[in-house]
Amino acid sequence: MISDNAKKQIDHWIEKYPQGKQSSAVMEALKIVQAENDNQLTHDSIQAVADYLNMPGIAAAEVATFYENYNHKPVGKHIIRFCHNISCMLNGADDLIAHLETKLGVKTGEVTKDGLISVKKVECLGACVGAPMFQINDKYYENLTADKIDDIVDGLQ
Amino acid sequence: MADIKIEIDGQIVNAKAGETLIAITDREGISVPRFCYHKKLSTSASCRMCLVDIEGVPKPQTSCSTPVSDGMKIHTQNEKAKASQKAVMEFLLINHPLDCPICDQGGECELQDVAVEYGSDVSRFSEGKRVVAASDIGPLIQTDMTRCIHCTRCVRFGSEIAGMMEMGGTGRGEDLKIEPFLAEGITSELSGNMIDVCPVGALTSKPFRYELRSWQMVSNESIARHDLTGSNVYAQTYKGQVKRIVSGDNEAVNETWISDRDRFSYEGLTHENRLLTPQIKVEGQWKEVEWNVALDFAIKGLSNTVLNNRKAHKLGGLASSTTTTEELYLMQKLLREIGCENLDHRLNVNNLDEAIHLESNLKLQALEQVDHALIIGANLRLEQPMINHRLRKAQLSGANITALNVKEFDYNYALNHVSVAPNEIATILAGVLKIVLEKKSIELPEYLSAISPSSSSVELAKDLLNAERPVILLGEHIINNKQAASIAQLIAEIAKQVGANTLNLSISANALGAQHVNFVPNSVGMNVNEMFKAEMRAFLLLDVYPEYDFHHANSAIEALSKEDVFVVSLNSFNNDLVAQYSDVLLPMAAMYETSGSQININHDIQSFTAMVKAPDEAKPAWKVLKVLADLLELPGFHYENSTQILEEFEHQPAHEHSQETAIDLSQQSTAIETVWMHNCYHSDALLRHAKSLSMSTLGQVNSASMNANTAKELALSDGDEYLGVPVDITETVADLCVFVNSNQATNIRSMS
Ligand code: SF4
Ligand code: FES
Ligand code: FES
Repeated sequence: MISDNAKKQIDHWIEKYPQGKQSSAVMEALKIVQAENDNQLTHDSIQAVADYLNMPGIAAAEVATFYENYNHKPVGKHIIRFCHNISCMLNGADDLIAHLETKLGVKTGEVTKDGLISVKKVECLGACVGAPMFQINDKYYENLTADKIDDIVDGLQ
Repeated sequence: MADIKIEIDGQIVNAKAGETLIAITDREGISVPRFCYHKKLSTSASCRMCLVDIEGVPKPQTSCSTPVSDGMKIHTQNEKAKASQKAVMEFLLINHPLDCPICDQGGECELQDVAVEYGSDVSRFSEGKRVVAASDIGPLIQTDMTRCIHCTRCVRFGSEIAGMMEMGGTGRGEDLKIEPFLAEGITSELSGNMIDVCPVGALTSKPFRYELRSWQMVSNESIARHDLTGSNVYAQTYKGQVKRIVSGDNEAVNETWISDRDRFSYEGLTHENRLLTPQIKVEGQWKEVEWNVALDFAIKGLSNTVLNNRKAHKLGGLASSTTTTEELYLMQKLLREIGCENLDHRLNVNNLDEAIHLESNLKLQALEQVDHALIIGANLRLEQPMINHRLRKAQLSGANITALNVKEFDYNYALNHVSVAPNEIATILAGVLKIVLEKKSIELPEYLSAISPSSSSVELAKDLLNAERPVILLGEHIINNKQAASIAQLIAEIAKQVGANTLNLSISANALGAQHVNFVPNSVGMNVNEMFKAEMRAFLLLDVYPEYDFHHANSAIEALSKEDVFVVSLNSFNNDLVAQYSDVLLPMAAMYETSGSQININHDIQSFTAMVKAPDEAKPAWKVLKVLADLLELPGFHYENSTQILEEFEHQPAHEHSQETAIDLSQQSTAIETVWMHNCYHSDALLRHAKSLSMSTLGQVNSASMNANTAKELALSDGDEYLGVPVDITETVADLCVFVNSNQATNIRSMS
């Protein structure tokens, strides 16, 4: 379930914590395993991480389901993380999310048929000054409008 | 902690500096609402219900997480406190379905109680409520997670008490859900306690679902008797039936927890297989009769076979140790009164010349204080759950624990497992003793001269010598070890030399009661195994189920079934084999249906009264035995209640059975040895009839575990059966031995 390479990476994080506290590395471990498995965590891979770190499966699942950046369903090559927290919401995020959904023909949480794009609603990304905003992979796009969204999305391959 | 004074609602209260406020208000009887606080669990301070006002502190504080200091002035009832509590209540109810009329917790719900006091009668929340899909977590616990208020008591119970974190909070914010991760649901042997700790109706008892409201039932203190703890419980009854068992409080025994076995065994009481009427066998046909007819028939049968011709030595009395001390006392009194010394309760022991004699001299509360424990031959988690719980506490506070077992079990705390085949144990212990004696420059006894301690012995000896408060626990897996007596003897010797306490967990249920009333043969009597070899003419059997209870099941059944042997059986359940060999069947009251007592591992005589009347014609066995004695015109059976019986034996000194057997280390068999343990939910007749327990993950365990090498030796592979039990090949078992844990009856043990 966990490749040798991933294990090596996880061990690197385990070393940073006191002996016997290897479960502290759970967030990184989940990240590493997710990266290796189509950017997605399954029940089994969470259990595998838990076993590797000698912690209860449910404890790893608590972490894995707490943070938005762990995916529990198949995701697209590009993940659009649309902020719908207060500043963005006040600036029309909800309408823009609806626009994006219609454009792509998917609901938030889903992937386009070609597997290229998935959309997620997320909480404040700390870019309220440029609200409404979303993040694609590692990049922020601010002061969004419907037109701007169309341009950005059309440019994704 | 320093003594201090604080003021609560204008009243001066003594406290210790640093105590949590809620512990003090609880002690003083001042009511503070709470959901997440539980006196035996860690503080999470997550529900915010326990807010109080503390003078000088601008914001209200949670009393479950506030340590007190001298002169603190606290208001639990002022406007600020009340307003905060009301506000929290309103938030808690936002997502709560308020479906009390169809909720099993109704009437005993902490949320309902607090809401009545602090809730508003109008909801200001008009948005949609959160709904959580039901999940099936097994046959014991019913979930309705929409009602969950996320107090995390069940989660903390799992990780802190059960030692296996099975429930957890997944998701975040509004999507937070309390659920198990594993598909097989909840498997802890203590899982039912989550029902007790859950303040709302999110976790309720599945077998009890939709049965009754709590206020309809009568709740009385009783004792559960499936293991050596004798956990204190409340039996809740309605119209003459036990409807539910919940845990009672007794710090010296089970604190506030009970095992699932104790909680759900009551289901067996109403099983359709109960024996309900007295029956006699006339010309091979069973006939239901009145009690007096059955008893006369029994007396006549006994008279014809053994009494009239002075053949009391041809009569045997056998009892299961799940019976009460009173019953055992009366039965031995009756037998001895008519001159019969053949009596025994050690039905499952292969060789009684090798019987274990070891005292238990450490109380449960003290067990928590040990700094080292050596477990020999036990899977305590399943066999003695509450004793295991104490040991787990010791481990968590730093004790070093070692287990010498044939299989590496799923221990729920960190311990050092040493894998041993049954025939290695005595030698290892002899090595330990040798090292200990040499260390103390004590002259070595003859039998140790040839021993050269192995590395395991060295390690074990080191730990025992270094410990200040060590304990050695001897478990049930050893009873049929070929060197059982020597093992017990070696343990006693080692314990004496290193100043260790010992606990004899090789017996269970009320075996200590049986020992107390001397339910074993004296020097002229026969033990159970001898009886089956002798030409007996009659037997009196108390709650015996041959295919489960006897080690030598085949020879027992054969001896009991002989044409000219008259058998009187008292049972609470029907059993084909019992019907086959008996001549009279007398229906007896089961657990919770009779008064009496159990003697637990603390050597406390724990008395209980009957919670319900036994069904139909079934009667408490002590009454039946008393009437039998009266009919036999024996003196001294004028009891009106079981307390009078208790008074007779309670001050008798307990019988000492310590017999010094010579330690014999020579007989080292090289054959593959089998350790046979009943599945923990099939260890007595009542349990075998408790349906939900049987359906649970633990109740389903039925496997003969062995490693690949042993399997090869036995020419077995996965999918095969060994002695009728499915083979499970695992390297967790020591070489050349088999560990069977089965929920089936079998006569395998007559083979060894
Ligand atoms: S299920 Fe019950 S005990 Fe567990 S968190 Fe929810 S309310 Fe608390
Ligand atoms: S609310 Fe959207 S970035 Fe902060
Ligand atoms: S009981 Fe204090 S916060 Fe829950």
